Amino acid sequence: MDWGQLWEITSAPDNVPIVAMLFLVPFFTWYGFRQALANDRLIDRLEKDPELAKTHHRKVEPYREGWAQKLYVWPHLLRVEFLAAIIVTVILMIWSITLNAPLEEPANPNLTMNPAKAPWYFLGLQEMLVYFDPWIAGVVMPTFILIGLIIIPYVDTNPLGNGYYTYRQRKFAILTFLFGFFVLWLSMVFIGTFIRGPGWMWFWPGQTWDHHRLVFEVNRDLHEIFGIVSQPWVGLFGAAAVGLYFVVFGWLTHKLFVWNDFNRKIYHQMTLVQYLTLLSFLLVMWALPLKIILRLLFRIKNVMVTPWFNI
Amino acid sequence: MSNLVQRFLSWWHTRKLDQRPVPKEDPIAKSSLATVTAVFSLLLILTLVWALYDEIWGLRPWITYQRDFVENYREVLIDLKPRRGEEVQAIQALPGYQELRQGVEEAETEIAPELAEIEAEERLVRLELAAISKTFTTERSRLQAAIYLLETAGDAQKEGLETELEVLREGPYLLEIPDADGNIEANEYTYEQMEEKFNSLKSRQGELQGDKVELLREPTRRRRELDAYLNARLTSLTETQVDGLLSGLDNSRIEIKQIHNPELGLVDRCESCHAGTREPVLLTAEAMGGKRVFTSHPHPELLQIHDPETFGCTPCHNGNGVATVGTTEAHGQYKHWLWPLYPSENIEAGCLQCHEADRYLEISPTLDAGKQIFNEGCIGCHAREGFDPESQQLRETQRSLTDLLTRKTETQLQIERTIGTADRAQTNEEAERLYAEADALTMNIAGIDTEFAHLQAREAGLMMAFKRVGPNLKEVRVKLKKEWIPDWIQNPHDFRPTTKMPRFRLEEDQVRAISAFIWQSGIEAELPRQPSGDPVQGKTLFETRGCMACHSMGEGEEATGGTFAANLSRVGEKANYDYLVRWIHDPKQRTLPYCPIHEREITPEDYASQGLPFEFDLEHNHCPLGDHLLQVQQPTVMPNLRLTPEEARDIASYLMTRAHEDAEYAPAPYLDDPDLREEGRSLVQNFGCASCHEISGFENEGKLGTDLTKEGSKPIERLDFGLLTSQAKHDGWYDQKGFFQRKLENPEIFDEGKSKEPLERLKMPNFDLSPEEITQLTTFLLGSVDSKFPETAFYQPSDQRKEIQKGWWLVRKYNCVACHQFTPAQEATVLEELPLYQDPDWREQLPPSLVGEGARVDPNWLARFLKNPALEENNLNRNGVRSYLEARMPTFDLSDEETQQLVRFFSALSKQSIPYTAPALQPLSSRELTLARELFTHTAAPCLKCHATGDLVTDPDATAPNFLLIPGRLKPDWTERWIVHPEIIRPGTNMPSGLFRQEGQRWVFAPADLPSLRGYDQDHAKLMVRYMFQYSPAEQRRLTGR
Repeated sequence: MDWGQLWEITSAPDNVPIVAMLFLVPFFTWYGFRQALANDRLIDRLEKDPELAKTHHRKVEPYREGWAQKLYVWPHLLRVEFLAAIIVTVILMIWSITLNAPLEEPANPNLTMNPAKAPWYFLGLQEMLVYFDPWIAGVVMPTFILIGLIIIPYVDTNPLGNGYYTYRQRKFAILTFLFGFFVLWLSMVFIGTFIRGPGWMWFWPGQTWDHHRLVFEVNRDLHEIFGIVSQPWVGLFGAAAVGLYFVVFGWLTHKLFVWNDFNRKIYHQMTLVQYLTLLSFLLVMWALPLKIILRLLFRIKNVMVTPWFNI
Repeated sequence: MSNLVQRFLSWWHTRKLDQRPVPKEDPIAKSSLATVTAVFSLLLILTLVWALYDEIWGLRPWITYQRDFVENYREVLIDLKPRRGEEVQAIQALPGYQELRQGVEEAETEIAPELAEIEAEERLVRLELAAISKTFTTERSRLQAAIYLLETAGDAQKEGLETELEVLREGPYLLEIPDADGNIEANEYTYEQMEEKFNSLKSRQGELQGDKVELLREPTRRRRELDAYLNARLTSLTETQVDGLLSGLDNSRIEIKQIHNPELGLVDRCESCHAGTREPVLLTAEAMGGKRVFTSHPHPELLQIHDPETFGCTPCHNGNGVATVGTTEAHGQYKHWLWPLYPSENIEAGCLQCHEADRYLEISPTLDAGKQIFNEGCIGCHAREGFDPESQQLRETQRSLTDLLTRKTETQLQIERTIGTADRAQTNEEAERLYAEADALTMNIAGIDTEFAHLQAREAGLMMAFKRVGPNLKEVRVKLKKEWIPDWIQNPHDFRPTTKMPRFRLEEDQVRAISAFIWQSGIEAELPRQPSGDPVQGKTLFETRGCMACHSMGEGEEATGGTFAANLSRVGEKANYDYLVRWIHDPKQRTLPYCPIHEREITPEDYASQGLPFEFDLEHNHCPLGDHLLQVQQPTVMPNLRLTPEEARDIASYLMTRAHEDAEYAPAPYLDDPDLREEGRSLVQNFGCASCHEISGFENEGKLGTDLTKEGSKPIERLDFGLLTSQAKHDGWYDQKGFFQRKLENPEIFDEGKSKEPLERLKMPNFDLSPEEITQLTTFLLGSVDSKFPETAFYQPSDQRKEIQKGWWLVRKYNCVACHQFTPAQEATVLEELPLYQDPDWREQLPPSLVGEGARVDPNWLARFLKNPALEENNLNRNGVRSYLEARMPTFDLSDEETQQLVRFFSALSKQSIPYTAPALQPLSSRELTLARELFTHTAAPCLKCHATGDLVTDPDATAPNFLLIPGRLKPDWTERWIVHPEIIRPGTNMPSGLFRQEGQRWVFAPADLPSLRGYDQDHAKLMVRYMFQYSPAEQRRLTGR
């Protein structure tokens, strides 16, 4: 266990925010979930007690006599905001005094850093490059991410859950989002920051970043395993594999989606276009962890190989 | 305790938000954030204070440094004043000072009365002027304004204005002018009178001032002399100067002190903390409160040469000149600054980037030694710009020659073709045209021939100048005892701890294979058998002929002699006597010449096949099988001492007695095993033996190692620390210095822990360097950088100083410094320190100092001397100039270019201009000849008592150079200076001084007042010089009868 190496990585000024993320993200997730679950319990009570449901409610509990129904921004909101501002300022001051901006050596175009890492917001994409080819990882998937985020309001036909935390009423949305955020985004960032070392090799935390390390990571394409080597069979095989993926996983996802009654209601509310759009985006999302498993465990690099792009 | 735990547990168990006890009051409306806000506001204030502190002091340590400095410096200066005062008093007590002060006082007393008069009058004039100035100047302006009005007025007003003007001119003006006695006289003046008075007073004032200056001229001059006397003797500052410094301190501002040189892109802020570097007072750490940061620069003379305002600090010291936030940053000792401060033992590395061309700098012995070691050995395997240029130049020249030959052959073919076509031409015109073409091509061939001859001459010179680091291994069969060879290869340092040859990491079978290959690839020849010599005589010769300037004898602590060449304590165990005799007699002699074009030795059979006699030397250096040059000499720097064959045998016999009695060598029959030859050959290629040695089949091998020209700039990522990388980082030696030091200590260190095939392991062998040598080489490597400064900043003089730079390379290459001094500041020569020469009798036997040689001798003569120091063709076993010296000036077989470079070197050192034409001296009239002979033969100036004359009978007792060499050897102006003041040119010389004294503008013979010379009003020294320069053997016979 090389503590020195661990310290070197976690204390690098560039990585300090990611370390902070490791604590803040679980905290806020827990915080939200606590609220959501308490709200769910309230919903339960209210569903059983219609009289109570008609009264005013405050956060996780019903309203009490004498409590304010409305509060003014000043002083109540602004007070809190002011305190928040002070706290943030204190944190910023301490951070800027103790951690200096990393002014490194003068740029030398003849000497590339190893590893040469993108800033954290692109580390996810850089990590994806391990699993997908640059066209897919750098253009297609980011486009899907953006468009996917944009179309959320258009495919989200669940009217519940506006303005309050709830888990039960928004299971699908929450789980999909958490999947996309934690697995597809944060874990990639984490891997890119802490796990990937020289040569973009996999180093567990505490393993020394040895530049001379040699690993066996000879990758092959899916068609090579099946012995298909000449075009156009290769391309056709790949297209078939991808098609198979969409069909099989599409069916599985559908089954998952209509698992419980609540979701089935939502399903019946959606139009075909909405549903198909949602499904295709979900399937693209699923592709990433699938490719990760294929690559890391089975050393399979590409499923579909064409002269123009690979998947 | 358990209460707390219970409360914690109940809190934990009721974490669910909706299960917590309901507060009585509205939690949001009634909650008070006052405490939290107060706490965080306090924190905010504290962080603000912290930020302010950091900003003002934390990030600006130089503020505290400068404040400390001013305090400590002030104390130092205040302490200094009384001591300075004492020193001043001591100087003022000196008789010289008293004399001057008396002179000043005399001069001042002399002029005192007149001065008083002038000053009195001056005072009076001043008072008078004071009295009238105000009125006069006022009225003058009024008048001038009125004149202007008049001039510019219309005719109508003119009359009125004129009247007014008249009034003004009339006045009268009342002036109260004091006179000499102090009485005040009141008088009325018109304007004109007033003006006249004023002007006369003013001019009188000027006159008086002029007179005063004239009067004070002599006393001022004497006073200035007095002050100069004091200042010249003061070791540093006077009291006033110290006061000046103190007031400077009082007015000093605390600010960033920066040196900025935009041409070099240099910004150095080192002096913001190192405030005492350039102070005129010597500051020590103790004096400055124990703070080393405030000490003075240890070499102020360096700062004189390299003005810090131009050079700053970082070009020499490295580090981060712009950083001011802390010591680590400013010294560049953090990960991201790639040029950290040089440690003090490697400080001279900073000199190298500008002084690449210099081989000798007085101030940088570590760097010089590093260059020396590098040139002696490392250059065999590691290429580096500026070192060993001859090998590359030789290769290029040979390539050009081959190209020329090819071109010539092609051109010849073309001529034949053209002529053939011309012969078969249809028309006359065409034939003529083609014939003309063939003619033109023939002229081309003439051009090629000229170029060829020119290049071949260059090649010959380069072949002479090209030297190899190690001995020629083609000669092993005739040179060595075969059983010794494997022992040596296994570990050279066992046999000879001081050898340059390193220890390779070889298995026993590899040693056998290599030895077998070397043995079998050697030339087989029979050397003429030499009769044995006298070892006792040989020992004397060895110790007196000068061998010990380069070679040492004796082992370990008892070794005496030079370290430039091998220690010969055990040479009897390895050598073949016949070869040793040949070598000592002429080291450059080869058994067979080598042809670089045919890539083999040329044998007597080859010569016989062309009907040529088997002889090869510098005059006969053409290959019998083609038009190219042969390598006819051994590529060794060892010179030819022009010994007789007898002397060579004596010395060889002595050396053969140098051996360990109990040394045993295992028999080595495998040396002749042909099966081992191929394996040995590939091993020799693998380990790069041919980088240093001449080996059959490997004459053109390149250099096996890395090019080290810019090694100091190598990014740390490109230095392979192997498996020791993380340990190096952890222990703090993960930088260039750490790499170089450890690699030099143990070249295979970075293979540690690796499992590699034997032939894949790191190849660099182990030299067993001492820690000093490692520091010297590390300094050299650290300084070999890719400089970020423009070339204009480097020390690359284009005038004579370049010749000095180049000359030092030659002088170090051939180790001239072991016997001779070239500059006064050079360290002692090897011979000077030998026990033999500590004996006062032997002191005179030291080779001459060459300080000022360029001023002394004719450079054309010097070139001839360097070519053949015996100065004659027949009896070579002598020194041409100082035949009485036992130590022999050897023949170095320098190429023409090297000889000329040395001549230019000497001229440049003495700032002589080249080319030199000997001035024509006026021949002596018969009267002058008589006078000169009288002086020459006078008993007080017995020149021939000490000077050699080429007479074999008397010369062995001589102690001064051959007199008959003066014309042609010396320069007349130097000779004149020499005979007048030899003690200035060569302190401690036996040449008597005081032979001439000055009489007016000329030098006259001092010891005696010869009557015949009374009538001669010319300079006696010049007369003597003219006589000496026409001294000849005839004159010699006339004077001495011999």
